Amino acid sequence: MAQGLSAGEILGIIRLTLFISGLATLLAFLLAMPVAFFFYFRHFPGRKIIVSLINTGMGLPPVVVGLMVALFLWRSGPLGSLKLMYTPAAMVIAQIILAWPIIAGLSLAAFEQVNPELLLQARALGASRFQLALTLSREARLGEISGIIAAFGAVISEVGAVMMVGGNIKGQTRVLTTAILQETRLGNFHLALVLALILLAISLAINLVLTSWQQKGLRTWPRQRWK
Amino acid sequence: MASPEMEIKNLRHYYHGKKILDIPYFQVSQGECLVIIGPNGAGKSTLLRIASLLEKPAEGEIFFRGNKVTAQNELAFRRRIVYLLDKPLFFRGKVKDNLLYGLKIRGVSKKEQAQRLEELSELFHLHSFLESDPQELSAGEKQRINLARALIIKPDLLLLDEPFASLDLNLKNEIMAEFQAIRKKRAQTTVIVTHNREEAFYLAERLAVLIAGEIKQTGSPEEILALPRSMEIASLLGHESLVEGSVVGQQNGLLQVAAGSNYIYAFGSAERGEKVKVVFRPEEVILAEERPQTSVRNWFYGQVVEVKPMDRVVFVSLDCGFRLKAYLTKQALEELKIAPGKSFWAGVKASSLSARPSTAKKVEKDSGEN
Repeated sequence: MAQGLSAGEILGIIRLTLFISGLATLLAFLLAMPVAFFFYFRHFPGRKIIVSLINTGMGLPPVVVGLMVALFLWRSGPLGSLKLMYTPAAMVIAQIILAWPIIAGLSLAAFEQVNPELLLQARALGASRFQLALTLSREARLGEISGIIAAFGAVISEVGAVMMVGGNIKGQTRVLTTAILQETRLGNFHLALVLALILLAISLAINLVLTSWQQKGLRTWPRQRWK
Repeated sequence: MASPEMEIKNLRHYYHGKKILDIPYFQVSQGECLVIIGPNGAGKSTLLRIASLLEKPAEGEIFFRGNKVTAQNELAFRRRIVYLLDKPLFFRGKVKDNLLYGLKIRGVSKKEQAQRLEELSELFHLHSFLESDPQELSAGEKQRINLARALIIKPDLLLLDEPFASLDLNLKNEIMAEFQAIRKKRAQTTVIVTHNREEAFYLAERLAVLIAGEIKQTGSPEEILALPRSMEIASLLGHESLVEGSVVGQQNGLLQVAAGSNYIYAFGSAERGEKVKVVFRPEEVILAEERPQTSVRNWFYGQVVEVKPMDRVVFVSLDCGFRLKAYLTKQALEELKIAPGKSFWAGVKASSLSARPSTAKKVEKDSGEN
């Protein structure tokens, strides 16, 4: 294998990358959905401001998130006693913060695209509040999965936050992006390029799976065109 | 009389501060088909939404089988009611998934689901569509699926908002007949709102007339047709204002009304000398070249001024000293060679006419603000 990292080490990095970004996306999804439902079903003064804040959060700079998480997890910070700084847990937390607004914002937008009368019909057929949320979620699947794709793409490719709170410790918190950064700095362009290709390949593979899930059952119209 | 499935008491409902419903008492009996007829904007859909328990009335109480509906039991009762919106809206997925939606959310067993699916597919001829995407089906197929997904639940109370309005005439008759047969067989308690009087008379066992948020009259369709309580109801049900005149005689409940050079005999109650409007349904008019010797009391001679073919009938207007409107079959039109300029005798049975006092006060009181 390329100079500097063994094949086993590279595999370890890939595994950790998938684990951290996958877990962060999953947890962000679980934390985002109730919020998206809440803002869909509840209308109150100030709602627009909060939704705007969530939408702004879609573009949070990873280094800023890294800095904020670091401030909290730092030994003298409010959560310092948990000793999470420079652990994979800290990286997951930072990536959740990055992924959450993307999933919440895009899901809410997807919910709002669903015909409200369809939901009224669901209730009129006997759906409870929970079943209504499930129905809404199924109807908005396209947009929700777009949110998951966008969130996963954002966190697996970011370097600022994981670098700051993970520390890029070899064998412990080194992920693909921080490894690429490291190898480039060391002048190992060949290895950096290999890692970059691996990152792209993983992204592509996961997006293929998510996209085929997203597009499942999508209607296509038989089209006859004038030639 | 069957016991009430649902009762609504002292209902008042507002929209943007404007009162849209004011109904002191409203009841649906078990097993009956009640049709609420009213013009657009009368509050029909709102009343249905309130009856479906989806919308809480601003004031009033709802009783479901004698139990008062509260926030605690609302879902349990709502599960026994199915309400279909005025257009068929479907969830993502196949026709089958849509048909089973109501059963799945009620936790009905798979076996029972399959049984009921089979039964309803049979009744509504849905077998070939079960795996299709409902969005790709025709209006008639959509409406069949819509009705089937409600009936599959076997609700205690079925509420339908203009269920046949989007269908063309032949299809409407076909699907209404299918629905009516199933409804009768199951003794399915049903409330249907419509603005279409033909649908109303075809489906209703009991009719309620809703105008401007108030129920103006309830009764059997025949009762209401024979004796509409106000001009407004009469015109809603297809009565055309015939002519104004004054009562000159009265015998056996039959009024003799003088209108121009004609005497008109009509049912109604009015004092001698009182001004009345005589109304009737244009369908009740018959035309003849010679005045026949029949029991028909009212014969007017007049000239055809307009012939206009409509959906299933032909509209003919005659000048008999007053404008008389008639709906005739195409067959009658051809047999009598009816054309503008020709003159005919027009007959209307006295029992098909009703006379209403035409004093503004009385009519206003009956017809509300609309």
